[in-house]
Order: sequence, then structure tokens, then C-alpha cells
Amino acid sequence: MSFLQPAMLLALPVIALPIVIHLINQRRFQTVHWAAMHFLLAANRMSRGYARLRQWLILAARTLAVAGLIFAISRPLSSGWLGLAGGGRVDTAIILLDRSPSMNQIGPGGISKLQTGISRLAESLDRLQANRYVLIESGRREPIELASPSVMKGMPETTPLSETADIPAMLETAAEYIRVNRPSRCELWLCSDVRRADWKSDSGRWDAIRSALADLPQMVRYHLLAYPEVAPDNRSIRVTRVRRVEGNRVAGIRVAGNQAEPSQGARLLISFRIEQTRSTDGTETIPVQLEIGGGRSEFPVEMTGNILEVQDHAVPIDGFQETGWGRLSIPSDTSPADNEYFFVYEKESVRQTLILTEQPVAVRPLEFAAAVAPSPDVRCEVEVASPDQAIGRQIDDIAVVVWQAAIPDPSDPISGVLNEFARRGGRLIFLPPDNPTDSAFAGVRWSRWSDSQASRVSTWVGDRDLLANTRSGEALPVGDLRIRRSCAPQGELTALATLEDGSPLLARAMTPGANVYFCGTTAREEDSSMATSGVVLYAMMHRAIEAGAQSLGSAQQFIAGAVAVENDGQWRQVAGPRDALSSDYARVAGVYQMGDRWFAINRSEEEDLQAVVPEERVSSLFAELDFSRVNDTVGNQRSLIREVWRVFLVIMLIALFVEAVLCLPRRIAKEKGVAFGGASG
Amino acid sequence: MVGSVSGMHASPHRGASVEFAEYRRYVPGDDLRRLDWRAFGRTDRYYVKEFEADTNLRLCLVLDTSGSMGFGSSGPSKLEYAKRLAGSLAYLAIQQGDAVGLTCIAERIVRTIPPRRTPSHLRGVNDEIEHAEAAGDTRLIEGLHEFAETTSQRALVVILSDLFVDLSELRGAFDHLRFRKHDVSVFHLLDSQETQFEFRRPTRFVALEGEATVFADPSEIADRYQAAVSQYLSELKSIVLESSIDYHQITIDEDYEQALFRFLAHRNKSRGVR
Repeated sequence: MSFLQPAMLLALPVIALPIVIHLINQRRFQTVHWAAMHFLLAANRMSRGYARLRQWLILAARTLAVAGLIFAISRPLSSGWLGLAGGGRVDTAIILLDRSPSMNQIGPGGISKLQTGISRLAESLDRLQANRYVLIESGRREPIELASPSVMKGMPETTPLSETADIPAMLETAAEYIRVNRPSRCELWLCSDVRRADWKSDSGRWDAIRSALADLPQMVRYHLLAYPEVAPDNRSIRVTRVRRVEGNRVAGIRVAGNQAEPSQGARLLISFRIEQTRSTDGTETIPVQLEIGGGRSEFPVEMTGNILEVQDHAVPIDGFQETGWGRLSIPSDTSPADNEYFFVYEKESVRQTLILTEQPVAVRPLEFAAAVAPSPDVRCEVEVASPDQAIGRQIDDIAVVVWQAAIPDPSDPISGVLNEFARRGGRLIFLPPDNPTDSAFAGVRWSRWSDSQASRVSTWVGDRDLLANTRSGEALPVGDLRIRRSCAPQGELTALATLEDGSPLLARAMTPGANVYFCGTTAREEDSSMATSGVVLYAMMHRAIEAGAQSLGSAQQFIAGAVAVENDGQWRQVAGPRDALSSDYARVAGVYQMGDRWFAINRSEEEDLQAVVPEERVSSLFAELDFSRVNDTVGNQRSLIREVWRVFLVIMLIALFVEAVLCLPRRIAKEKGVAFGGASG
Repeated sequence: MVGSVSGMHASPHRGASVEFAEYRRYVPGDDLRRLDWRAFGRTDRYYVKEFEADTNLRLCLVLDTSGSMGFGSSGPSKLEYAKRLAGSLAYLAIQQGDAVGLTCIAERIVRTIPPRRTPSHLRGVNDEIEHAEAAGDTRLIEGLHEFAETTSQRALVVILSDLFVDLSELRGAFDHLRFRKHDVSVFHLLDSQETQFEFRRPTRFVALEGEATVFADPSEIADRYQAAVSQYLSELKSIVLESSIDYHQITIDEDYEQALFRFLAHRNKSRGVR
């Protein structure tokens, strides 16, 4: 229990006053020589049991009355979690604020989880008081000192973002702040909706974070204000692909304000997905609003079940409009953050692949796969060269570089060229050379060739990256591949496919752009069946080519928070929320322009998953820490803390009443006569 | 009054006197001198003439000098009060020509002065009364039984005590005295504090008799104490009523002259004074 006036608790020893008075009274006795001793003995004997009980009850009632008075004037607070915070003013209150899109879920009254949490935290902390208030929000994750908790309500740093929060990183920041600033007594308030995407509860970082927090010398209490409530009828929309193609007229598209068909040939092919948590029995028509360059149109889609995938929805545009932006939205629901999606487009450029190898014959299947365009609208070109030719070669327009040779030494100029290519965002795929060396790129090196018997791929990552399932949801036939020889990559990597013996076949290096891959075999007949079972090789190559091509273009899609912060200041907002800070543009969904480049920022795919970390798991993440949690509901206007001095006042009055009743003279029933023992009188 | 010499008190026995009482038939053995010859002449029957016998009084004062009699919450103690009453009664008796004796009882009969009527005897009685001190346990019951056994002649026995004794045993002592034809009067002396128990502070009560000590908060036990005293007095009154004892409960803050007057008036009312 905490108190607004904890200093008054210093008077708690006063509750011993009735006892002290009683004891003093007992000591201040008089001595009387008494004749009628037998009456006295009899009366004392008869009244001993009840009188003693009554005396103790009176004493207890008086003590309770004094205690009730002291507690009442100490202004106690009652609440589930703040009640456990303990009394007294804390030195520093650190507020960790989850600004992820899911916190924008609104409840009754149109108040979002974020607003509710901020309001309740501000009110509670204003009442509890601390010497210093520090805000660490999920966007920049930098400590911001606050004059008072209530200023959070109007701060641009507390508006919702489109970036998925990184709660472990926020806790690391908080731990670092405590370690550096050394507050004497610290309270950490975490406001979050406990989404799995934000908490990353399976991350190995949690052990280190928990250990770091436990090692803090200060007394730190951790409080979680959780909003785990999931929107019951949520519907989200996500654009999965946008292509601008030179093309013919497309019928059946209604453009807002203009029913006429466009006169010349360009169109957008928009693929998008609509998901909803509630499954409808029949078919439901959903109006989808499309905004392209400021012009709006609307078209209906028929939805059955939980997921609707629309492929290449054609929208005619002017032929001269080579670059632009758009927005796809559905009617707003309780979670508005996922009801719209921004995109940018540009005229398709030639997708170039550069294969650097000492054995051109060995990479022939890759050459073929990369050269065949996935659609007639796309042009793909492949160039095969020796590694030496990379120096001085213009690679700015290359989408993918395939490297099949010994990994160049870091001092080698070629290594610099590859590093620059990777930094720019192009996709870089390493294939094992015949004679691997100990050189490493991005922390990954080749092991030795293993000539074991033919092996198969046992596991692979099918929800994202190069081996992701097809748009229709079907898995690539990765398991059908026969791997006859493999040379496993080693080092700091993320395995995308592993063989039956556990060694990685395809891995991604831990680079900032996540764009450097290592494939542990080649497409040669003696190494694998990748060439003969060409689907996997083809899909893998073209996904890499498409991703690499996107990094080259002037119109790029980014996940919120994935863009380097240093570029923020040069961005100009084209579409999106007007109240966003310019420094937060990279974290807020919208369309932005920097020079002649366009950026579309959107929420991550994880945000559409409404999975919540179970309460037990959250408790285990804070195991051995002084942790408490309260589950709140969005839109709840009740205060987290309540003053309960009235309860103690009532207790005091009851105690006084009981004391008065016990002190009333008692009617004595007629007793038996007094027997005088012996002959004494 | 019972006495062997002629005095101021009407004797319960018929005897030689000037006040005619009644005739009765002569029975062999009667004094022939008391035959009424005139009545014989008129009725031819023998009658004996009887007269009211005027005798003197034997007053036996029984004074309880046990430790409990030393209590007095304000002013004189119960013993002091009893001494005044006893001295006054002794004086009145001697002045009327009655004999006065004194028996002081504490743990035993500590002093006995047989009844005499001479003025010089009064001085001796007064000296004993003056020197009596409250000390020791009370053996009043045993003392009264011993007194009853050793006092053969009928007398007016006046007991001055707080009667803090076992009531069932007290009844036996009273019955014993009545059996010996004594006229028994009791001055039951109590302090007002002993009946009302008006203490405020916690008090350590030390017994005037014995070693007992009680520490008590008077507010806790006052009600039960008063109930016990009330019950005791009620039973005592029942006993004295059944034993035909002339009982006078006196609170010692009452003027002793008033108490004495009430006693004498009560006796005069019940027996009459010539």
C-alpha cells in the first residue's frame, strides 16, 4: 500500500499510546489497607475472565482507532499494482511507452489504448509524485526527461507510430539509464499491449536483460500496465506487391470522378491482402478505397473466410506518370492502424544480375534462371564475369550479385566493392568455391565440402525471405531437393534452410540490410538437384532480384523504423498523418519524398498478427524482479489509484463505537453469597 | 431486665415488688407468706399474689478487636467508633445501677471483665476499652461460643463488630447465645467505602488480616464487589431476623450519638422503660 503523505506514518508508534497509558496507569496504583478482603477476592475472582477479555478488547479498539486515524491522514492509496509500490516518494519514475500500431486500437469513446495508458499513467504518477520523470518511447528509445507526467498527453513523442516496438531494447535503454544516472530509488512503468511482435518474448536477449536488471544496485520496481485486449472484429489490409507496367487498356476499372477509360497504356498491378479476425459465413462485400496521387476511387471486393488475396488488381494510369504513390484503405474499425497501406511505384527498369565466377559453366543454371523474366512486363538481364572484373565495373544498376569464388580477403579491393554493394541494398549471394578459404564476409566463412551421401533439406523458413511460400500459400518444393555435396557456411548467420544433419544450406548474414546470403551448394549436377528441380532456384533468384531491384529504384517500400534515421531530416511528407514529427517520418506510415526518391512507410507484417504474450510468460520474463502487473481495458476512465482514507476513518469510528460499548457499565446478575474462608474476617 | 438486685428495669420474672401483676393458684412449695388470705376468704381457694419484679441489668459488651476493625476510610476507624459506643453504654448502665462487663475478641478472647455495678468498675472497663487495639485475625465465632459457655447468668449481650465472618457459622453463634437466654444486640459497623467501593485508580489492596494482597482496577470489579456486599448484607439480615437478634447496621461516618439513640429508642419501644 502506498500513501500520499507517508511522513504521517512516522506517527505510527502513537498507536502504542493506549497501551502505554494503560501501563502507566497500572504503575500509578495506590496501596490501601483493606478490611473487607473477602468481597474483594470474590469480586476479583468472578470478574477475572470476562474483565480481562474486555480490557484487552478495549485496548485493541483504542489502538485500532488511533491506527485508523493515522492511516487516514496518511492518505492511503488502493490499487492492484500501485498498492504494491510501497510508500514514499521515488527518486526517478521511468515510463516505457509502447507506441506500436496495435496500441492505436480504440475502445468506447474513441480513445485508443495509447491514450488511455498515457492518461492513466500521467494521472497516477502525478498523484504519486517523483523527483524525476523519464520517458522512453518505443520510437527513438532515448530517455526524455519530463517536467511532469501530465505533459505526456500533449507530446508528439507519445503519438502512435507504425513501427513495431522493441520492448527488450527499451528495457536495455532503461537499464543503461539507471546504471549511468544512478537514481536512489526507481520505479519503472511499462505501458504496452503485450503483443508478441513487440515483446519478442522468444528472443535470447531476455536472459541478458533480466540479468542486467537484477544486477542493478538500486531498488527498482517494475510495473506493467497491460492492454492485452484484442480487437474482436478487426480487419486489416496489406499491399503485397505493386507494379507499374506499360500496358493496354483495362476494362472494368472505375476511376473516381472519371468513368472514362484512360487513353494510353500504363497501369498499376496492385496485389493486396485483406484479413479479418471474424470469419463470415457467407460472402461479404468490402469497399476498398484506392488513392493514387491524390485521386480517389473505390471498388468492392467479395470476401469469404478470414483471408482475401487479390492479385494484380489493374488500375489504369497515365502513361507519362512513371513514378507516384498510392494508398489502399478499407473502412476504419477499432484498430485503424491496419486499415490503410501506402505504396509507391515507378516504371520498371531492367533487372540486372551479375554473376562473378571462376567457373562459368558451373553457374549456368543460375544464369538461365535469372535471365527468364517472371512476366512479360519485366526485363531481366544477366552478365557473367570473373571476379577480377568486378573492380572498376559499374554496379550501381545491378540488383543481384552472385559470387562463386573464394571469399575475398577484407584487404582486397574487391571486398570493398562487395561491401559497398551490400550497403546500398543490393542482394549478394555467395556460392561455395571449389577450394574454400578461411576468409569471411559479414562474419561468415565457408567450411569444407562434405561428400556425404545425398541429403535433403529438413527445415526451411517458409514465411519470409527467399524460400517463402508462394502467394497462394503453397510451400516451395524445397524438401524435394537432393543435396549431394554441401559446404556449410559458418559464423553469425540466420539459417533459412537446414539439411538433415543440421548444417545450414541457405543462410543470411547478420547485416543491417539483411541482404547477404550464403548458399551451401551449387546448381551443378554433382552438387545438387537445384538445376533439375529448377522451381526453387528460380523462385529464389527472382525474389532476390526483385528485392535488389527495389533497392535500386527511386520508389522504395520500407517497413517503419527500418530506414536509417540520419536521412529523416531531408524527407518531405506527401501522404500520412499531419501531426507526425519530421524526425519520426521513418516510423510513421505514409509516403515521403527525398529529392527524386519516393518512400512508402508501412507497418511490419508482424503487426497484423494479434498474438499476445501469455501472462505466465510475461511473469517469467521478469522472474526474480520486483514485478507487478495490472490488466487495463481500453477506454477505461477509472483511476488506477484511489484514496481509501474513508475506509480507515470508518474503521476508526467502528473501533471507537466498540470501545464505548465495552466501557458501558455492565449489569450484574445476582451472585451467590460470599463465602468467608475459615474463621478469618 | 434480668438481674439479681432490684433496679430500674422490668424483669421478665415475677417476684417481690410493689407493682401487682396477677393471681395464680397456690402450688405446694410456694411461699406461704405470699398467700392472699382475703382471696381465700372470699373464694375458699388458695391464691398466690404475684408482683412485677424490678431488677438490675447485666450488660456484657463484646468488642471485636480484630485487624479488620482498624479500617476507617475517613476519620475514626470502626474500632474507635465501637469504643465510643461501648463506653457510652457502659456509662449509662453504671449510672442506672446496672452491672457492666467487657469481652474483647480478636484471635481469641483477649480480655474479659466480668459484670459489676460499682462506679470504680466503670473506670476499669473504660481503661480496657481505651487500650483495645485492632490486631490479628478474627475468631469472633469461637469467641462468642466461648462467651456463651462461660456466662451462665442471663445478660444483655451487645456485640460490636464488622461481622466479617462466615454467616452460616455466625448463625450458630447467635443461636448459642439465644439458647443461653441472653438478650443479644448487634452493632454491625461498616465503613461507607466498604459498601460503596468508590475507588478510581488501580489499587493494591493489602489485607488488614492475613497476608492477602489484591491488585485490581476498581472500575473492573466495583460492580461485582458491590453485588457481593449487597448479597452478604441481605443474608445477614435474614439470619438476625430468624435468630431474634436486635440488629443495627451502622455506617461509621454516622454520628455515634444518633446511632446510640436509635438503639436505645428501639429497645425502649420493644420492651418499654419504666
